[in-house]
Amino acid sequence: MYPAMPNTRPLIRALLVFACGWIAAGPPAGALEDPAARAEVTELDNGLVVVTLEDTTTPVVSFQMWVKVGSRDETAHTGLAHLFEHMMFNGSKHLGPEEHAQLITARGGMVNAYTSYDETVYFEDVTRETLPLVIDLEYERLAYLDISDETLAREREVVLEERRLRNEDQPMGRAYESLLALLWQAHPYRTPVIGWRSDIEKTTVEICRRFFDTYYAPNNIVIAIAGDFDTEEALAHIRRTLGRLTPAEEIPRSPTEEPEQRGERRAIVHFDLRSPVLAAAWHAPATGSEDGEALDVLSQILSDGRSSRLYRSLVHDDEIALSASGGYWELKDSGAFLAIAGVRPGESVDEVERLFFAETDRLRNERVSEAELEKAKRQLEVSLVDNLATSHALAARIGRDITTFGRIRPLDERLDRIRAVTAEDVQRVANRYLVEDQRSVVHVVAPPVEGDA
Amino acid sequence: MSGRLGFAHSALLACAILSSGCGTISSLWEPKPAWELPAPSPIDRPVVTKGAVDRTDLENGLRVLIHEDRRLPRVSIGLVVRRGAAVESPDRAGSVAFMADLLERGAGDRDALAFAEAVDALGASFGSGADWDTVSVAVSGLSRDFDTLLDLLADAALRPRFDEREAERARGALLASLEQAKDDPATLASWWANRALYGSHRFALPVEGTPETVARLDAATARQLHAAFFLPNDAILSVSGDVDPAQAIAAVRSRFGDWSPGETVDPGPPPPERAPPERKILVVDRPDLGQVRIVVGHEGISRTDDDRIPLSLFNLVLGGSGFSSRLMAALRGPGLTYGAGSGLALRRSPGPFFVSTFTRVEELRPALDILLAELERARSDPPGEDELSWARTLATGSFSMELETSDAVTRALVDLDVYGLPENSLDTYRGRVRAVTVDEVAAVAREHLHPERAAIVLVGPAEQITPQLDGLGPYEVVEP
Repeated sequence: MYPAMPNTRPLIRALLVFACGWIAAGPPAGALEDPAARAEVTELDNGLVVVTLEDTTTPVVSFQMWVKVGSRDETAHTGLAHLFEHMMFNGSKHLGPEEHAQLITARGGMVNAYTSYDETVYFEDVTRETLPLVIDLEYERLAYLDISDETLAREREVVLEERRLRNEDQPMGRAYESLLALLWQAHPYRTPVIGWRSDIEKTTVEICRRFFDTYYAPNNIVIAIAGDFDTEEALAHIRRTLGRLTPAEEIPRSPTEEPEQRGERRAIVHFDLRSPVLAAAWHAPATGSEDGEALDVLSQILSDGRSSRLYRSLVHDDEIALSASGGYWELKDSGAFLAIAGVRPGESVDEVERLFFAETDRLRNERVSEAELEKAKRQLEVSLVDNLATSHALAARIGRDITTFGRIRPLDERLDRIRAVTAEDVQRVANRYLVEDQRSVVHVVAPPVEGDA
Repeated sequence: MSGRLGFAHSALLACAILSSGCGTISSLWEPKPAWELPAPSPIDRPVVTKGAVDRTDLENGLRVLIHEDRRLPRVSIGLVVRRGAAVESPDRAGSVAFMADLLERGAGDRDALAFAEAVDALGASFGSGADWDTVSVAVSGLSRDFDTLLDLLADAALRPRFDEREAERARGALLASLEQAKDDPATLASWWANRALYGSHRFALPVEGTPETVARLDAATARQLHAAFFLPNDAILSVSGDVDPAQAIAAVRSRFGDWSPGETVDPGPPPPERAPPERKILVVDRPDLGQVRIVVGHEGISRTDDDRIPLSLFNLVLGGSGFSSRLMAALRGPGLTYGAGSGLALRRSPGPFFVSTFTRVEELRPALDILLAELERARSDPPGEDELSWARTLATGSFSMELETSDAVTRALVDLDVYGLPENSLDTYRGRVRAVTVDEVAAVAREHLHPERAAIVLVGPAEQITPQLDGLGPYEVVEP
């Protein structure tokens, strides 16, 4: 009923991305042809990587620019990668603020961007006749970006509103902000992608410019295009525009690694709410780990569907939670296993926690049944097929794979790895990662009423 | 120096030295950038591939729509009943949604958990729910499981168990989620805006009902409602994906052919024509929030209103088009918000028209004044040819994009059927949009916008909000 706010530049997508992270592992049934097998990778002289996947049976083409910079690269001003992403829409030498987005919108296209921990992604979903405009617009802002005191001052306020909207006035936002700062005490993953308020307030044009010069170089960018377009025409157009950008000599990265955690960590956040939140996390391996598929299967068994263990225990049988899920979230430098539950108003967050951890302990103490194992694998399989349905999803898959792994992981390979997971593997990874010593726990609860002891 | 900035600087330097028309686009852009060229004509691809959709009416009146798309080995099946929450009286608010929620909590030979096991074992997605004008059951999964998926759908639609214990569980979960929803400022704003608009009409309360009305729901109520709603002559079943149409029809006939028709439910009274009759201001007190949610609204139009296309184009200009809209420019432009939008709730009976945004508490009044001024301006300064021109290309372009998948096309076709609109509407839509004139848009804006009597709902800390409301009229502070 409300207009779906089409303006979201979903920075916190980072925190949604984890939801996809554990679902998007596992391949299709039988002899499905993997459309991504037809993708072509081209590296230009300046280091720009272009990955293309032509498919004229769909009416849409998705153009995505994956920049290998995210909040993990912020060493001084947190929130810079995200604030900068906003500045990419605020004008360049030949175009005024927001004109880039307006030109795409005027042709019915979808334009947006999001910033995450490891990357910043800009995308335009359009029909084929608009692709040349998209490429020219991307070149224009990469070659001639204009950051002024005036637009930056305005955009800082916009981002602070976004911060209030997603992080400060929402129980879940409060929970994640506190949880990740507890789980990672040193690594930059500890800071929310949107940044701390004080840092956003103090970011200057000079800081933005330096950031742009350092990270927005062609040899730090992957372009992914999927859907209805002509590969040769698009590559020629990209060569004579984005191909002229000058590469950077060196892209600096944060040296900080997370030290070993020794013992459980806990935090309490007070917020005016009716439904308390339980949020917990364990350290887990970085993306590409050989334990990844077993953790994905474990996530499914724990929380996918109404027959999953957490739904059954906390929502159906004991009726003390409104929702409960746990899932593997993989990032470049490390990962986390996240647990989240919405506590029914009037019920105890401690009791929800006890039942939740009883389920993770059960995974450590007992092998899962063959039926549960098969069910989890099938769910992963189906979600992979579903993820092939749109140009946007295909471009995102090839863009992410090239950005993260330098290659496209074939569906068959992913299917084989999923299928190879055994009940012993699930128990092994549960015992390796879901241990009390490595856990961080946050309760978001209403503040105690004054006068209470 | 690194990156493209290095390039930009060196190009500028070259220009400076040669002093040759620097700053003109042509000096830096060879050839001209695409935005300097005339926009290419859009290619209107057919929405539905010829011959891909099969419509069959069974003898009992059930309409069956099959949309064949063999690109992926998947299938989606949906059953939609053309009646929804709008038919119930306000004191029974939530009963239709409750019935819909119970459909997958035990059906046929399976209790709730066994049903969930059967769905999850296929890796399928299953859902049932109610909206204002429909109740629907939907399932999707791999096409090789088509028969089992259809069996599950038929069980939930025709043989739900309505177990007493499951009804209790569902009621408890619903009551808890209604309480939890008060933690979400956007939901609160929407609830109270509808209350402010519709008084004693059903539209005043959420589809899910209220704690008072939900507390009275039980399995017997749901069973009666199901019997009244689920009639083949008031339903449409759709299949889209990797199926053979003839086999799919036969499979549907074997599960739904014996379903008995009956007399359809009365659609219920329409809402008042003027809602609210005069300006109302409600402040919903949430002392802990740093940001105020603002919703301004009044009655809108129905899904089948003749003005819907020009008014929708007007809505794109006002607030329905993201970054390009007037509201975004006026509110995000000066850094007052992250988002602002407007929208029409198109139902069988006219639903609300809402404009909404959010801003830090101390900037509430400036933001609200801008928002009201933009609504007023919509009548005094309606969209000209330039604004309308991009609204037309936006509407036609996004139409093509939103219908990328066969599932999306099928949902759109079912929607047309529910509202009794011509089945070729998708084919004619782009032409109808392009035919809309500036005068038509101005006329519908004048007729359908009433900022002077709109309801204003503000969610946030009342103590800081109320001092900012001088001169707007009387207000009322309510607890969430």
